[in-house]
Amino acid sequence: MDLQMASLFASGAFIIIGLFAAVFIDNLIKKIIGIAFIEEGANLFLICLGYKAGGVVPIFLPGMSADWFAANSAYPLPQALVLTSIVIGASTLAVMLALAMVLYRKHGTLSVSEMMGDEK
Amino acid sequence: MNYLIPLMVVVPILAALIVNIFGGKDKTVKAISLVVAIAIPLIAILAAVGVQYFGGHDPTLIASSLPSNLVGALAASYNTGIVYVFENIERIFIFLMGIVAFLAVLTYFAEKKEVSGPYLYLIFMGIASVTALMLSNDIFNMYVFFEITALTQVGIIVASSTEDNYEIAMKYMILGAIGGPMLLLGVGFILGTIGSVNINDIIYALSNNFVNPYSPGLVIGFALILFGWLYSAGLPPFHTIKSAVYSKARPNGSAILQGFSVLCMLAFGIAMYKIFAYIPYFNTAIIGFAILAMVLSIAMSAMEVDFRRMIAFLAVGELGFIALGFGIGTQYSIAAALFQAANEIVITALLFIGFGTVYYLTKTSDTRKLGGLIAADSTMAIMVLLGGFALAGVPPFNGFQSKLMLVQAALDAGYTELAVLAIIVSVVIFFTFVKAFHTVYLQPKPKELKFAHEKIPKATVFSVAVLLIICLVLGIFPNIVTDIFIPFAGGLI
Repeated sequence: MDLQMASLFASGAFIIIGLFAAVFIDNLIKKIIGIAFIEEGANLFLICLGYKAGGVVPIFLPGMSADWFAANSAYPLPQALVLTSIVIGASTLAVMLALAMVLYRKHGTLSVSEMMGDEK
Repeated sequence: MNYLIPLMVVVPILAALIVNIFGGKDKTVKAISLVVAIAIPLIAILAAVGVQYFGGHDPTLIASSLPSNLVGALAASYNTGIVYVFENIERIFIFLMGIVAFLAVLTYFAEKKEVSGPYLYLIFMGIASVTALMLSNDIFNMYVFFEITALTQVGIIVASSTEDNYEIAMKYMILGAIGGPMLLLGVGFILGTIGSVNINDIIYALSNNFVNPYSPGLVIGFALILFGWLYSAGLPPFHTIKSAVYSKARPNGSAILQGFSVLCMLAFGIAMYKIFAYIPYFNTAIIGFAILAMVLSIAMSAMEVDFRRMIAFLAVGELGFIALGFGIGTQYSIAAALFQAANEIVITALLFIGFGTVYYLTKTSDTRKLGGLIAADSTMAIMVLLGGFALAGVPPFNGFQSKLMLVQAALDAGYTELAVLAIIVSVVIFFTFVKAFHTVYLQPKPKELKFAHEKIPKATVFSVAVLLIICLVLGIFPNIVTDIFIPFAGGLI
C-alpha cells in the first residue's frame, strides 16, 4: 500500500470515528472531539489528492525547465485549500468550545440529552 | 474590470469591523450601520454586470505562456484564481437582501436603546458572506463563505439573548460541523476527479468528456454536496433545527437569518444544477426533499402554539416550493423557483418583523396567552394580515404570481400531482396563518396579558410598510424580475 492510499484510508477512519462520536456519544466535549476528527479527516483527504509519489514541492526554482516542473511537481491547489479549511475548522471548534463552557455553567452537566431535555 | 463587484463584499466586512471597534459609542455605530445598510443595495444596483478575477487572471490570457506539455490540455483552460460572476440575477438577490438588512437594522435601532456592536458585526459579516456566496463561481470558495455564514447565524442566535438560545445554537453548530465537512469532502471528490474547483472549469471538463461524468468520484461528490445543500437551506432532515434557529433570534435577526438561508439555498442550488443536472434521479431527489419540506414543515406549523415557531416552519415550508421549482427542472419552473426565492426573502422578513411586534409589545409568543392586539395597532395588524396573504399566495401579491408560475410549470411538465400538492399546501398555509392571526389579534384580550411596551416604534411600522409595498409591486408587475429569471433559467438548463 503506498503512502497516498494509506492516508486515504486514515482519512476515512477519521471521518467514520468522528461521525460515530458526533452522533452517538452523549458527552458534549467528546462530541466536539468527534467533530474535530471529521474536519481533520476531510483535510487529510484533500491533502492526499495533491500528493505525487516521488514528486517535488510545487515551487518553481531557477534551473528547472517548465515542462519538467509541470510533470513532476505535486498539485498545489489542495494544499492551498486545506490551509483555509484548517482556519475554518479552528474557528468552528473555538465557537463550539465557548458554547460548551456556557452550557456547562448553565446546566452543570456535559450530557447533551440532559441539556436538551431542559430546552423548551 | 468592475471594482464595484468586490466592494459588495468588502464594504459590509469593513462595516462589521468598524462597528465592532466603536461598540460602545451608540451614535457612531448607528450612523455607520445605517450608511452601510443603505450602501449595500445601492452598490448592487449601480454595479455593472461582469466578471472579477482575483489573484489569477483570465485563463485565455495566460494560455499562450504555458509549458509545451500543457498547451491544449484541460489544465490550460483552468481559472487560476477565485472568480466572482455578477449578473442581473445576483443583482436582484443582493439588492433584496440589502433592503431586508437595512430595514432589520432600522428596526433593531428603534426597538433597542443600547445597540450591540457584536450583534451588528455578525449581521454585516453574514451579509458579506452570503453576498460572496452568491457571487462566487468556485465551489471551495462557496464552502468557505457558507461556513462563515453558519458561524454568523450561530452568533446572531447567541447575541439575541432569548430563552434557550445557547442550546439551539449548539445544536445548529453540531449539525453544521457535520454538514460543513461533508460539503468539503464533496468539493474534494470533485477536485480529485476533475482537478479544479471552478464551476466553469468543471462544466468545461464534463461537457468536453475530459472526465467520465458518471465516475464514482463525481457521483459521491454530488451526494455529499446535496447533503450540505439540505443543511444550508434547512430542508428535511434539518427543517426542525432551522425553524428553531429562526424562532430563537430577535425578529429583525430572524428576518435576516431566513434571507441568508434562501441565498445559501440558491447559490448551492444553482451550482448543483450547473454541474450535476445530468445525473439520473437528480431531479427526483430534489423533488423528494421539496415534498418532504412542504408537507412536514407546513404540518408542524399548523400544530404550533408559538407564533414565532409557526412562522419559522412556514418559512422552511416555503423553501420547499423553491426546491420544487428546481426539481421539476424546466426553464419556466426554475424561473418560478427563483421568483419564489425573491418573494420568500421579502414576505418572511415582513412576517418576522411584523409578527415580531407582538413579542415586542407583550414579551410572549405563546398564542394561548395572547389576544385583542388589533386594538394596540390596527395598521400593523392589517399589514401583517396582508403579508400572510402574500405568503399563502393570495392575489394581487407576489406570492400569488410565483406560486401560479410554479403550478403552471408543474402542469406543463406533466406533474399534475405536484401542482395539486402545491395548491393544497398553499391552502393549508392560508388557514394556519388566518387561525394564528385570529388568535393573536381578533379574539378577546386575556385579562392576565400585560404590555411591556405601549406603542410600536415608527421605524418598525415603516419597515413592514416598505416590505409590503415591495410585495405589492412584485405582485402587480412580476415582469420586473421574471424578465431576468426566465432567460437565466433557460441558460441554466
